[in-house]
Amino acid sequence: MSTNVEESRKPGLIQRVLIGRNPLRTLLRVVIWIVIIVVIRTYVLLPIRVEGVSMLPTYKEDGINFVNCLAYVAKPPQRGDVVAIRYAGRSVMLCKRIVALPGEQIAFHKGHIEINGETLDEPYVKKPCNWEHAPERLGPNEYYVVGDNRSMDFDQHMQGIADRSKIVGRILL
Amino acid sequence: MRVWLVRLVLLGVIAAAGIWAWHWLFPSPEQAIRNELKQVAAAASVAPNEGQLARLANTQKLVGFFSPDVQINVDLPGRASQSFSGRDELQQAALGARSFLGSLKVRFLDVSVIVAPDRQSAEAHLTATATLPGEKLPEVQELRLHFRKVDRAWPIDRVDTVKTLR
Repeated sequence: MSTNVEESRKPGLIQRVLIGRNPLRTLLRVVIWIVIIVVIRTYVLLPIRVEGVSMLPTYKEDGINFVNCLAYVAKPPQRGDVVAIRYAGRSVMLCKRIVALPGEQIAFHKGHIEINGETLDEPYVKKPCNWEHAPERLGPNEYYVVGDNRSMDFDQHMQGIADRSKIVGRILL
Repeated sequence: MRVWLVRLVLLGVIAAAGIWAWHWLFPSPEQAIRNELKQVAAAASVAPNEGQLARLANTQKLVGFFSPDVQINVDLPGRASQSFSGRDELQQAALGARSFLGSLKVRFLDVSVIVAPDRQSAEAHLTATATLPGEKLPEVQELRLHFRKVDRAWPIDRVDTVKTLR
């Protein structure tokens, strides 16, 4: 008699697979996982979809990527890093490469970037351009960012000086 | 015991409904401005095949969110800066823009509102996106809007574009 009662209390196979032997414990696990995912998604790895052509050929349109929001906690952004730059918030962001650091002088001459008068080697730029831009000195906490695709006119390419506070993090992949 | 539990739950529901109704009837300045911004975005959007009467009505509705002496400064990279002063200039510009736009979807994202300590003025910082028909990518612009309280309304008295990259 008691065996029958115990057997009838045993959860079925489907229940065991879906919610485990102890539903309360499963619920607790689900809640903990949701909290972990939300925290990681908000403060550590921000998922993004790359739109537009300004970072071609490094990043193609509609590619999925992540922003490492902790990349610059211990060290400042470096030249060559591809970073996410926010507008008012993080819903829409720019994806650009850092080419000049605070205090440096940047200029475009015959399509090449010159940092403090020296030409910057940029193996990631595949299409030549003829951009010209007068030298500009960056202030403290200012970074010059530009896309890898320089095939359009200088004025049609969104680029310029980004304040450090605008840089959300480094593109992960 | 069970009756008390039901009463307690019922009391909680009534209290929650009361708080919601209070906030709906008497929104805080920040909430009022957020609600207004949603209406501004809706009024700035252009529906496909908008008729002449609808165009005029929607333009007037949009202009109604601004103060009579509104100042709008548009400074976009690669384009000459423009300014609009007053509702009349704004109405002309909005009517002109609506007449050649087939449709337009305007959204305000990442809205942050700071109300002045005297609660008579406020500033909103947001990202505006405008999607044109046939365009895959929206136009994106950071904006700063200034509000000044008049009676219980919060008309916009100044709009400035913000350069995300200088």
